[in-house]
Amino acid sequence: MTGLNKLGGRTWVVTAAALIVLLVINAVLQPNFLEPSVVQSNLTTFLPLVLVAIGQTYVILGGDIDLSVGAIVALVNVVTVTVIAGLGGDGTAVVIGLVAGMGVGATCGLVNGLIIAGLRFQPIVTTFATSIVFSGLALWVLPQAGMPVPEPYWRTYAGSILGVPTVYVIYVVAFLIAAVLATRPFATRLKAVGGLRTAAFQTGLELGRLRVSAFMLSGLFGAFASLCLTGETASGDPLMGQTLAMSAISAVVLGGTALAGGVGGTLGSVLGAWVIGMIGSVIFFAGLPFEYQTLVQGLIILAALAGGVLVTRR
Amino acid sequence: MQPILRACDISKSFGAVHALDKARLTVERGEIHALLGANGCGKSTLCKIIAGTVGLDAGEVLIDGQLAALGSPHLAEEQGVALFYQELSLVPQLSLGENIFLGREPRDRLGFTDRAAIQRQTEALIDRVAAVAGKGFTPDARVFDLSPDQRQLAEILKVLARKPKIIIFDEATATLDRRQVEVFFDILRVLKAEGVSSIFISHRMDEVFAIADRITVMRNGETVAEFAAAETDRYAVVYAMVGETGAIAASVRDHKPLEGDARLAVKDVRAARLGPVSFTAQRGEILGLGGLQGQGQKALLAGLFGAEPFQGGSVSLDGVDVTARRPADAMARRIAYVSGDRGRDSALPGRSILENTAIASLVRERRHVVPGAVFRERFTEVLAGLNTRYAGLDAPIGSLSGGNQQKVFISRWLSPAPGLLLLDDPTKGIDLGAKGDFYLLARKLADEGATVIIYSSEDSELLSLCDRVLVLNGGAITADLVGDRLTPFELTRASYGDAA
Repeated sequence: MTGLNKLGGRTWVVTAAALIVLLVINAVLQPNFLEPSVVQSNLTTFLPLVLVAIGQTYVILGGDIDLSVGAIVALVNVVTVTVIAGLGGDGTAVVIGLVAGMGVGATCGLVNGLIIAGLRFQPIVTTFATSIVFSGLALWVLPQAGMPVPEPYWRTYAGSILGVPTVYVIYVVAFLIAAVLATRPFATRLKAVGGLRTAAFQTGLELGRLRVSAFMLSGLFGAFASLCLTGETASGDPLMGQTLAMSAISAVVLGGTALAGGVGGTLGSVLGAWVIGMIGSVIFFAGLPFEYQTLVQGLIILAALAGGVLVTRR
Repeated sequence: MQPILRACDISKSFGAVHALDKARLTVERGEIHALLGANGCGKSTLCKIIAGTVGLDAGEVLIDGQLAALGSPHLAEEQGVALFYQELSLVPQLSLGENIFLGREPRDRLGFTDRAAIQRQTEALIDRVAAVAGKGFTPDARVFDLSPDQRQLAEILKVLARKPKIIIFDEATATLDRRQVEVFFDILRVLKAEGVSSIFISHRMDEVFAIADRITVMRNGETVAEFAAAETDRYAVVYAMVGETGAIAASVRDHKPLEGDARLAVKDVRAARLGPVSFTAQRGEILGLGGLQGQGQKALLAGLFGAEPFQGGSVSLDGVDVTARRPADAMARRIAYVSGDRGRDSALPGRSILENTAIASLVRERRHVVPGAVFRERFTEVLAGLNTRYAGLDAPIGSLSGGNQQKVFISRWLSPAPGLLLLDDPTKGIDLGAKGDFYLLARKLADEGATVIIYSSEDSELLSLCDRVLVLNGGAITADLVGDRLTPFELTRASYGDAA
């Protein structure tokens, strides 16, 4: 308890420390690690996970969980590439495709939220079920991987906007959205809903609306992640992003957000996502067989969970 | 000037139970108004109606002379009525300031949470109670880290931040010690000076006379008297609570003189909000636990049974230490427990009557298989002895009425007969016929040598059934009523912590 007191609830400080350690190890193992091109390449690789983790944070803060976000990523991808191809693949088609993708993501979140908050279904079971539904829809839209996106799409993603690499622009925009949300009453109210639902209810908060909003944010950030992945793969893939939901939940937990809800924030989740990315990087450059990555990642998350329990238990 | 609140002819039924029957309440601006009455008189229901958490069947509420629409807590709050909750509305993970302004955060021009304003306004609120706030009571402090006193204070500040005209405090002092009560009273006086009215439900008569300007007394869902506190005394108030007949009528029961030595000795037992409490009881005695609800009676029974073990003290029965650490200990000593909360404490839902009856015997006899034939015979006889009406032992427990279910649950404990029978408001929600059977059974078990301890939320039940009643108030025994002193008047008086 004293540990948490000193941090004043800023549990992300621990994650930041872990990230620094990993950065140092990586810099030692990999001499060119800090070169701008390598930094950019790494941050590009981590971007989808960072985005999904930001969205997942809202759901978890509100005391729920979203297992379906990986399937949302796939569905958004196939819808976007299909819309772009269907409209002829010019600039207007790309813009409409992006908007459609975001619409699909937000709608999936809305469906999750309405079922869970409206019908009072269990979030873990519901989003597991809807993930199968979303995956099924993705396969229906695009049964096989393929259907390339037009060149300007992935060229823009890999390139720059006004001299700033596009990936960094996306990071900045995502952080701005997260920062704006964090300083609005929404953030506090969501934490109240996840912290002690009865108290939030007694206080007159609109629990349903808050929870649905959180799921919609998760779906929307899933869509952002999907559009970024599409920029990397440059084509449609109905099986895209399958591991993202679990990795994102791990990132959120590593970032100090309590799985029970009410404590944490997006900053920690971003750091947590980077930590997970770095762990993979360390294992790779330390010459360990790649098969160990999942095992090590699992053990580290277990340790983080245990640490969290020790810190919060009086 | 208009009274700030006038509730007229409020009626409310829950099913067949008339909780309120044309109840009235008038509260003046800036006064502290105490609302008193025995258990089940309707005072809490009336408060809930005014606070919008319970709807009303008939009647009207005027606030500041205006007809108030009180469909929800939110509506009531908009009209200036705030209900004080006991630690229920604070989110432990959030800071004090975040909690106080949760749902109504001050915002800057861009719609962002104005943290500086929260800080400033919380500090201003804390200043009003600075004398009693204690260490670490700052806007940034997490509620998680606050002491129970400070949480209570935080709850009050949360109410104050809504700038209410009327605050309802339902048993706000129940968990406070004497010093904390003084603190709470200081806050009430501050509010009074600011023109805010308080409705105050208390379980202590001395508190009422220390702080209240006026007193409204309720009985059986009706408003029976209004007093100015300065012009009355506690006797008049207690008389109003029990009514003419109750006050005069001596107990009509045949008091059996209790002979012999105590066989149950409870010594200095303690639990959260209970004790230390000591008492003794005899073989063949039906001992009642009286008082207003939530004064430690249930904790005492749960402790004796080991369901919520005591934190100290000892219990001995027939010279043997029977201080229970878990229910199995108590069951091994032929201590039985029947709760009025059948759904929570007794029923194996969806299982048969036989299974619901056999469960205690299975544990006590360390059986792993229900010996069907033996148990069928045994429990058919027991259930018949209680006039239980049921289709068959294999029918699901839910097919029975409340009264018959309760008979099934008590029959768990009857073979062999218990040495100490603990009854926790056992006749709650059961019909009169079943109640009668229940009383007969309790008397029969006592006559056969058991000691029966019963808590009841109905004073009339204690008065008609018990040989002796211990009255609890704030976790302590305030009276030991027996013989001529076992009257409604003394019981009500002691319930309010007013010892003779």
